[in-house]
Amino acid sequence: MRRTPWPHGTVRGGPRPAPAGGGPRLSPGRGGPRLSPGRGALRGVLAALLVCALLPSCGSGDDGDGDGTVTLDYYSLAWQKESVAANRKLVARWNRTHSRVKVRYVQGSWDTVHDHLLTSFEGGEAPDVLHDDAGDLTDFAYGGYLADLRPYLPRGTRTGIPRQSWDAVTMNGGRVYGVPFLQEPKVILADKRLLERSGVRLPTPRAPWTWREFENAARRLTLDGDRDGRPERYGTVWPMKEPVDQSVNLALSTGGRVLTTRRTGDGVENAVRFADRDAAVSALIRRQIDEDRTAPRSGLGMAGSDTLPGFFAGRYAMVPLNFSFRQQVRQQAPDGFAWTVLPLPRGERPGGHVQGVVPQTLSVAQESRHKRAAAAFVAYLASPAHQAALAKGDWLLPTATTALRDPALNRRADGWRTGTALARTLRPSPALGVRGYTEWSDKIATPAFQRYYRADLDLKGLQKTLVDDGNRVLNRYQR
Amino acid sequence: MSDGGPRGTPPPRTPAARRRALGLDRGAWFLLVPALLPILVLSVGPLLYAVALSFTDARFGRTVETDFTGAANFADLRLDPLFWESFRLGLVWSLSVTALQLLLGLGLALLLDQNLRFGWLARTLALVPWAMPEVVVGLMWRLVYHQDAGILNETLRRLGVLGPDSGNIDWLTDLSLALPAVVLVGVWAGMPLTTVVLLAGLQNVPRELAEAAHLDGAGVWRRFASVTWPALRPVALSITALNLIWNLNSFGLVYVLTQGGPGGKTRLPSLFVYEEAFTYGQFGYAAAMGVVLTAVVAVCLTVFLRKSLRETAP
Amino acid sequence: MNETSAMSPATGPSGPSGPSGPPGRSGPTGPSGPTGPNGAAGTRARGWRRAGRAGQYAGLLCYLVFLAFPLAWLVSTSLKSPQELGEAAPAWLPRRPTLENFRAAFEAQPLARSALNSLVVAGGATLVSVALALPAAYVLARHRSRIGRAANAWVLVSQMFPFVLVIIPLFLVLKNLHLIDSLGGLALVYVVWNLPFSLWMLQGYVKAVPVSLEEAAAVDGAGRVRVLRSVVLPLLAPGLVATLMFSFVTAWNEFFFALVLLKSPGNQTMSVILTRFLGAEGVADLGPLAAASLLATVPGLLFFTLLQRRLTTRLPAGAVKG
Repeated sequence: MRRTPWPHGTVRGGPRPAPAGGGPRLSPGRGGPRLSPGRGALRGVLAALLVCALLPSCGSGDDGDGDGTVTLDYYSLAWQKESVAANRKLVARWNRTHSRVKVRYVQGSWDTVHDHLLTSFEGGEAPDVLHDDAGDLTDFAYGGYLADLRPYLPRGTRTGIPRQSWDAVTMNGGRVYGVPFLQEPKVILADKRLLERSGVRLPTPRAPWTWREFENAARRLTLDGDRDGRPERYGTVWPMKEPVDQSVNLALSTGGRVLTTRRTGDGVENAVRFADRDAAVSALIRRQIDEDRTAPRSGLGMAGSDTLPGFFAGRYAMVPLNFSFRQQVRQQAPDGFAWTVLPLPRGERPGGHVQGVVPQTLSVAQESRHKRAAAAFVAYLASPAHQAALAKGDWLLPTATTALRDPALNRRADGWRTGTALARTLRPSPALGVRGYTEWSDKIATPAFQRYYRADLDLKGLQKTLVDDGNRVLNRYQR
Repeated sequence: MSDGGPRGTPPPRTPAARRRALGLDRGAWFLLVPALLPILVLSVGPLLYAVALSFTDARFGRTVETDFTGAANFADLRLDPLFWESFRLGLVWSLSVTALQLLLGLGLALLLDQNLRFGWLARTLALVPWAMPEVVVGLMWRLVYHQDAGILNETLRRLGVLGPDSGNIDWLTDLSLALPAVVLVGVWAGMPLTTVVLLAGLQNVPRELAEAAHLDGAGVWRRFASVTWPALRPVALSITALNLIWNLNSFGLVYVLTQGGPGGKTRLPSLFVYEEAFTYGQFGYAAAMGVVLTAVVAVCLTVFLRKSLRETAP
Repeated sequence: MNETSAMSPATGPSGPSGPSGPPGRSGPTGPSGPTGPNGAAGTRARGWRRAGRAGQYAGLLCYLVFLAFPLAWLVSTSLKSPQELGEAAPAWLPRRPTLENFRAAFEAQPLARSALNSLVVAGGATLVSVALALPAAYVLARHRSRIGRAANAWVLVSQMFPFVLVIIPLFLVLKNLHLIDSLGGLALVYVVWNLPFSLWMLQGYVKAVPVSLEEAAAVDGAGRVRVLRSVVLPLLAPGLVATLMFSFVTAWNEFFFALVLLKSPGNQTMSVILTRFLGAEGVADLGPLAAASLLATVPGLLFFTLLQRRLTTRLPAGAVKG
């Protein structure tokens, strides 16, 4: 893509041609309201409606360009206290060592990041550097709000992070819209004492359970003393508040993808597929809930953290959760509760030891007036030593290969070592880069999976809904 | 209502004369403009802008071109079963929450209007839900409803409602329980405002009439129907109309509680519009939904208010 | 003859002493009570009266339990350690109460600063919106005109439109007024957001003040301003208080606009800060969140305690006739 120097007077060439100049721009200063439509007449009407927009908005000079220094806003989603501290420390160090580029730390929250960024983008007030996850980037990237980082990133950053992580943020014709810097595998948190007492083989990152072994282990761990079909203790629990991401990511281990990507002449074409290998893990989950009764049906409505009280109380022996939930366990587990981290089970076939992840990312806003400086700051944060510090603070894994060797991330305590060993099994989630994924997930897939797991819909029905209705949604996005 | 009746000359009775007596002709504009101006700039402007969007294919994206598409969005909307299902849910939710708010709020307001001991404490505590930020309300109730660690299941178990053999109830994720559970939170959160408004309205009830009716031996119900309710009616109507609208539009609470789940059983129209606009970035389509919602509600409400106001009018 | 004495002590306008149970059940339909047949013998009436009173207290208690229990639960949560919060069988009383959550909350987020911001924004917005709405509502209530009807219709329509759709255009307007990331800009939005309710409700209260009172005073020779100040305003006090409360609390609790319009760390309001205790995937830092939420709830409750008296204060009936 051809880069136009800032400030650009015309709308940049995206997937569609730029409008032919006509019609009054509402406010030329900083690109104007993004909702301004292309057609002159309508634009005029809207312009008249927005009485105030007629006031000149001479781009604010708050970046302090007068004395040659620039100030970057860094929107961070660090959450744990340690991680916020690590971030602030890195920002402070940057500000000490860089006299011309200052960084202002702006605290965001995962709960609201999408709304906040979307409004900021539309209003032309986005932060220069923003922290998000790769799943959220798709729409922002295709919307033209994120800078392609290829021209700006130093070689060290590019080579330090493995290829599959970069794949997660590469889309729209090979453009790179962020630096993947943190990630987390799904693991199984298990009650150590119950596990040891049950006599099942303890899996290791080198020799994980197969899904079948997992099913058996769950059976062994389930306890239904009075045999009323309502176990006092379930072998596992599937927190399925958001069933789609999980089902898609776990499908990789059985050779599935659910969402397929095909290169075409003018881009890529996404489609939904739900064949046996895509559905294997989903079918297993349903078996556990509705046939084996080794997982409670109530888990279907739970978010990850909702499972923890039951886990501590011995109601659930194993819980598949994201790696960072260890922090919650560490903090909330009653004294004397022994727990351990197990790797996720693998598919039977070769290559079955993989799972999909959605890495966290650092991106630069297309509208930033200091893209080069912003990218330099991103590279600084994503350098291996800094990645390691940030990862440790939020109980996550870094992406850079050298960062993964950090001794602090390889301790035996709290399952760090298990997780780090799993880093090589992580692949970008098939959902990444698929336009319309969210809508498919919300409107079609979530209700369908929820009904499927509740035995309200059979596999055929699920397949039909996901694929037929699903492709209709996806097709709307790729025309 | 002729208490405080005139003593001297009879008051002027034609509207114009009345207006003159109250000095409204001169001051009216001067008093209205300060309130209408900010509304015009910050409410009318953005709103008409959003309405205009409903006739376009406006989407999220800085490089995206927006075209005028006429009524295409509305044509699509007509065939969108998910939207209409959500609309139906919205009506069920809104009507039930509003009705319960009115009934419970009226009961509480009448109680608080009595000269009970600790009235001040009761009046303050009755407002607790109102003083809590919506996010917190949602989270609190999620904890209350929590399947394993929720106080509701625990309390029910202690009271013996849940037997030792029966499992815990998953309030927010059961397909048939989720909506009632969410309605309860809606009532809980919206009752204080209704109560306060009605309580303030009760102060206009002519006490002398109530007293007189009491001496006449009118029963509680008759006193309420003939004295209290007529005086309260305009205020009750206003707050009910607003409640109805707000409930139909309510967003934060349900979003925090269920995000529209399970299986879309609590996806209120506002959540639907929100997802369409903020998650999928389809501004034009979302705006069309907003227009349809507003139009339908406006028509229903106009009919309702017309009728009610005509009944109230002398 | 003053109002309190005018009220019959046993049964006011109604005695909802019956089914004022917890929610879920139909609740008191207000005026149905067991205050049986009238014209009964004196002793029997007194017995009924006492029973009615007891019923009223019982009803009130049910209401309070229903309405205030989450507050109790919030207090309890804020005093529990993380371990206790992770337990499957929750207890109402923390076993080992700790103030650690409050310390952690203050340490993690700039609570004091954000409370001050919220106070400034909510207080300012409340005063301005009520000051603007009161005269306008008076005119609209007393002066039927086309503009008045249009204004009223608008007020309702503006509330019907899903607010998420207004956010982006509003953002653009404010940006052009250079009011993004300013507490003043946010307060302005709240003023506009609160005005409809204030206008609508105050009109209702104004209408309830009999015009005859004003006319009588005017005919008696009282000046315009005096009529308003000494006749209308006192009668409006409860309605005005209700409106003030509404404006303040709405602004204090509002979240979405604040999230979108404020950027600088030093400008955040309380409700936005509260979401910082939420992580990804529904993870929450419960203890500190509860502690912070409690602190965020206190100002509203204090405000209510101060104002609630006014909700039922009545002037002696004689004074009204002035």
